[in-house]
Amino acid sequence: MTSRRPFAQLMTRLTPWFFLAPALLAFTWFKFIPMAKGLVMSFHKVGFGGSDTFVGWHNFERALTDAALRDAAGRTLLYVFFTVLLSASIALLLAQALQGTARHMRFIRTAMFLPAVTSAAVAAEIWRILYAPTPDGVVNSLLGLLGMGPQGFWADPSQALAALVGMHVWKHVPYDTVIFVAGLAGINSELYDAAAVDGANAWQRFTAVTLPGLAPAITVICTLGFIRGFRVFTEVYATTGGGPAGSTEVVMTQIYKQGFQELDYGFAAAASTLLFLFTAALTAVYLAWRRKR
Amino acid sequence: MVNRYTLIALLAALLPPAVRSAPVDEPLYVWTRSSKDGRKTYDAIAAAFTKKVGIKVEYFNALNDFEQRLARAAVGGRMPDVVVNELGTAGQLVNMGVAAEIDRKRIAGADDLLDSAWRAATLPDGRIYGVPVSVQAHVLFIRRDWREKLGLPVPRTWEELAQLSRAFAEKDPDGNGRRDTYGLAFPGGTARGYAAWYLSSFLFQAGGEFLRRGADGKVHAAVDEPPAIATLEFFRRLVCDDRSVQPNAINAATQETNKSFSSGQAGIYVSGPYHIALFDQEPGKDRYEVVPLPAGPSGQRAALAGGELAFIARNSKQPERARQFIEFLISPEGQSLGAQPPRGGLPVVRLPVNKQVDAATVHGDARWAMVAQEYREHGHPLPLARNWSRLQQMAADGFNAALAHCSKDIPADLRALNGRLNAELARQEAQ
Repeated sequence: MTSRRPFAQLMTRLTPWFFLAPALLAFTWFKFIPMAKGLVMSFHKVGFGGSDTFVGWHNFERALTDAALRDAAGRTLLYVFFTVLLSASIALLLAQALQGTARHMRFIRTAMFLPAVTSAAVAAEIWRILYAPTPDGVVNSLLGLLGMGPQGFWADPSQALAALVGMHVWKHVPYDTVIFVAGLAGINSELYDAAAVDGANAWQRFTAVTLPGLAPAITVICTLGFIRGFRVFTEVYATTGGGPAGSTEVVMTQIYKQGFQELDYGFAAAASTLLFLFTAALTAVYLAWRRKR
Repeated sequence: MVNRYTLIALLAALLPPAVRSAPVDEPLYVWTRSSKDGRKTYDAIAAAFTKKVGIKVEYFNALNDFEQRLARAAVGGRMPDVVVNELGTAGQLVNMGVAAEIDRKRIAGADDLLDSAWRAATLPDGRIYGVPVSVQAHVLFIRRDWREKLGLPVPRTWEELAQLSRAFAEKDPDGNGRRDTYGLAFPGGTARGYAAWYLSSFLFQAGGEFLRRGADGKVHAAVDEPPAIATLEFFRRLVCDDRSVQPNAINAATQETNKSFSSGQAGIYVSGPYHIALFDQEPGKDRYEVVPLPAGPSGQRAALAGGELAFIARNSKQPERARQFIEFLISPEGQSLGAQPPRGGLPVVRLPVNKQVDAATVHGDARWAMVAQEYREHGHPLPLARNWSRLQQMAADGFNAALAHCSKDIPADLRALNGRLNAELARQEAQ
């Protein structure tokens, strides 16, 4: 029996890896290898008929000096800032209203989660109807009740990006709300009692107890929001395609155009690598800053 | 607990299967840019070809992202033998290293094809990479029931077109009591350079060009000339002043613009004759008419002439068999099969390129005679630059921006666009 022991120990140590293996195999095949290939591609001029030419940092130089990509990056930053800020603020308000364990609350929470599980393409189609730039469009009819004239939304270069932010917020508020509801449930209710005893009003309870208690939830929401926002693609591609007049061109649509319309794989791969590094760095800095507080 | 041997066996089953042995009789791999309805027609062509020559054909068809898929196949080392794609992509396929040069003299039946089709297939350096298999000219689709209800004539000039478009938008031609109809269905989006492709017929009618060869023998951009300005100002009027185009036209691409016309939202559409079969189903054959495009401001007639080319892949392992397939495609038999779709199919040969095949006869439809005449007399192809796709995309971006902003100064916008196009031409020249 003793001779079997090392083998048994080895098996015990390996068993988790056996269970992970299918997922790891799939990830290697569909994620890690393509990522590595993309990285290699970013140093090459990709030729389709035959061989690739090594061009060193050339693609990265082009990506960093490309005016269209720079404009798109500026727009993406705006997009991320407003989507994260608005989604999180609205979700925080909703979470306050939706906390609790009553049965109808559970129903409402489930119902309002629907946008989050709607595919981006379907959401795009729904919002195309809502945003119809005609006087009888759904949103325009509502604006009409407020005495406002019909708006162009996605057809108007000065409104298209804001209209996209609106759709993004609609889609991601439920997600953020659920995280906040979970965060609120984790706050010790004795803290509220103590605050009440000390004579704190509602606002003081919110800033002194709720917000600090929600810090981990806020971190999660902002981190996810950054990552989601910087690589936004489907929502834009399925609605405006970057138009009108380029007013909704974001980093990913720009990369897509360079890569798959101009077929400049090397440049697109370099820009993607830069986007990945930027998102990773920003997230790391943000997490470090949160941890310090 | 799971037996560890079961676990190991399970993992072994998940590993990629061993390399399969190559089939004995390799089929000919053919990629076509076509819908699933077009594919049915290509299947009929393949069946006849296999029966005649004994070579099996394996197709792949896609309408969206066709070149992207081709690029992915090329990177993955799984290129087809034959590619059938739009005329305008010739330069791009050559740059990608996908298309091999074709010796016209070695193609059986080459002399039976229309000279205009060969001319349009010739790149600026005089080389030919694709064999023309189908040609077409843009025509005007109009809701006849709406037009007759309002008592307006078939538009013969831009002015009449604008008036009809406005009447459709304002006078409730479908009589449902709501102002929910529009005139011109305008695909003004920039995907695939659509806006430029679509506006080209109008640019040519105004006497304009995208590119011109100057006295120095060099090719220059020409979108800052008065005809281009007139074209954009005419569309600014439709989009911004009359607002008679369908809502969200400025972002629209093919599919949604088709839908706008077929569903009865818009009543006028400029497009290729391949839509005849589609629109016969919806809005219905008796509800619309197909007529020639109107004349430009100075009376000039023109219609964008397009077509499809068949390319032999540069690293095809069976170029001889690929050539045989293309020869069948351009033969009277192949052309007839392509124009006469089986049930549920769409024609993949629009106007036959083979002079021995008559369009109206082969389609069994007199409307095609008009299309053939338009192509013959007023057909105007797009220029084939070394990379026309890129230039078309830039022109579309420029046109789209001017119309989206309802630009007050179109000449200045077009001057700027012209500069960008010239810079790109110089870049392509230097490559």
